Amino acid sequence: MAAEVARLAADAGSLRRAFHFLPVVIVLAIWQAAVSFGLVDRAFLPSVADIVAALWELVRSGELAANLLISIYRALAGLAIGSVLGVAIGLAMATSRPADRFFGPLVAMTYSLPKSSLIPLFILWFGIGDVTDILSVVLACLLPVIVSTYHGVKSVPAVIVWSARAMGSPHHLILWRILLPGSLLSIFTGVRIALGFCFVLTISAEMIAAKTGVGKLIFLYGENGAYAHMFGGLTAVVIVAYFADRALLAVMHYCLRWHDSVYAAHRDG
Amino acid sequence: MTGICVKSLSKCYRGREGDVAALSSVDIDVAEGEFVSIVGPSGCGKSTLLYILGGFIPADGGVIEVGGKSVTGPGVDRGVVFQEYALFPWLTVAQNIAYGLEMTGVARAEREKTVERLVRTIGLEGFERRFPRELSGGMKQRVAIARTLAYDPAILLLDEPFGALDAQTRETMQDELLRLWQATRKTVVMVTHDVNEAVYLSGRVLVMSQRPGRIVQEFAIGIDRSGGREATMLNDDFNHLRNEVWLAVRRQVAGGTA
Repeated sequence: MAAEVARLAADAGSLRRAFHFLPVVIVLAIWQAAVSFGLVDRAFLPSVADIVAALWELVRSGELAANLLISIYRALAGLAIGSVLGVAIGLAMATSRPADRFFGPLVAMTYSLPKSSLIPLFILWFGIGDVTDILSVVLACLLPVIVSTYHGVKSVPAVIVWSARAMGSPHHLILWRILLPGSLLSIFTGVRIALGFCFVLTISAEMIAAKTGVGKLIFLYGENGAYAHMFGGLTAVVIVAYFADRALLAVMHYCLRWHDSVYAAHRDG
Repeated sequence: MTGICVKSLSKCYRGREGDVAALSSVDIDVAEGEFVSIVGPSGCGKSTLLYILGGFIPADGGVIEVGGKSVTGPGVDRGVVFQEYALFPWLTVAQNIAYGLEMTGVARAEREKTVERLVRTIGLEGFERRFPRELSGGMKQRVAIARTLAYDPAILLLDEPFGALDAQTRETMQDELLRLWQATRKTVVMVTHDVNEAVYLSGRVLVMSQRPGRIVQEFAIGIDRSGGREATMLNDDFNHLRNEVWLAVRRQVAGGTA
């Protein structure tokens, strides 16, 4: 009986996960139908089947793998550097008034600035290639992580910090052992936002300032009017970004297994 | 030297709507090894007083000395147990208890021994690797007390330590605290709104007025506790004192400054 119930529950779970992608399937079906039935000219929009075929061709020729690896490297390097810097700056701002006074206005002013607009300037400084691409990603990842870290630290209850001080924790250990884990949920939320930005910025930086990478690939195919291949490259990026987000979520759930809300999210599936 | 001496202590909270006087000219003397409780209407500033003794918030005026030295910040001579336990939710039970030992530089082997002993004392064997969210209120409270006892502070500052517990767990915990105090004779200052608890546990009960809080009355509790909880609770001396303290608090709640 219990096994029966468990099996039914598991079935319901996988069924729900399958339905999760239903909207995507519907949109793709409408897209395919629109092109197949001639509602949209094939020259303006390739069909889904064409895109899949182009993607397969890119995979088989090895063109995709080589460029995708470079793009993933740039995106994740930028994300890692931006997140570490962002946590450090956010922590400093939340715990030191001079740091808050220094970084506060800078963060407020640059928060809504489109970071990609700086890429031409970076090309002037660092030329075309990894440094320019990664730097653009770092800048884009920095701000959401700073802001979420700051708010995370500010929301750690005072009694938690007090009890740590009462037990003789020096200032640097209050930061490392109390405020950092105490704001981890908020930090992960910021890093998740940054993860989205890191792919956006990698692709746009590569379109302008790189000789390699999926961004360059997409740009070249788009320039040449090979839209099926352009969409093929885009599809690869979307798939990678989706699995990167899933992976980050899994890491977050492991790191926050002590946390009430993460525990509840797990329990409720 | 673990006595506490507070003279004409005052504290004001500054707010947008003007200042709120929390404490005004509070005088308290706690002798070494004494168990003193502070009771009073809610919002009278008794927790504020405890936080000032803990060194977490500064006083505006007056003298606060612990062991003859002026209080300038938190110190490991004063162990604090907070109302809401304030356990570190990212650390396991064992890690929470070991935290203070780690900070005071106790070697790992010694830490493990102390943690094992305390886990046994609070009856949480098998829960060492659990996180606080997996524990009941009573269990969390026991961990909070064990965590504070682990590094053996000479003074205990308790802020409504049993306030969030159900009646039965609360009595059990009170008895454990009493046994602990009788065995160690630490200096204890406890803030509570539970008159029964204050009289049952303390050598002296101080009654605070409404805000701005000051000490308005003092009761020496010279009752015989050797017979256990039932004998103590049914004792006429206990009930007489309990009623007197209760009346004194009630008069403060009613707003009397008399």
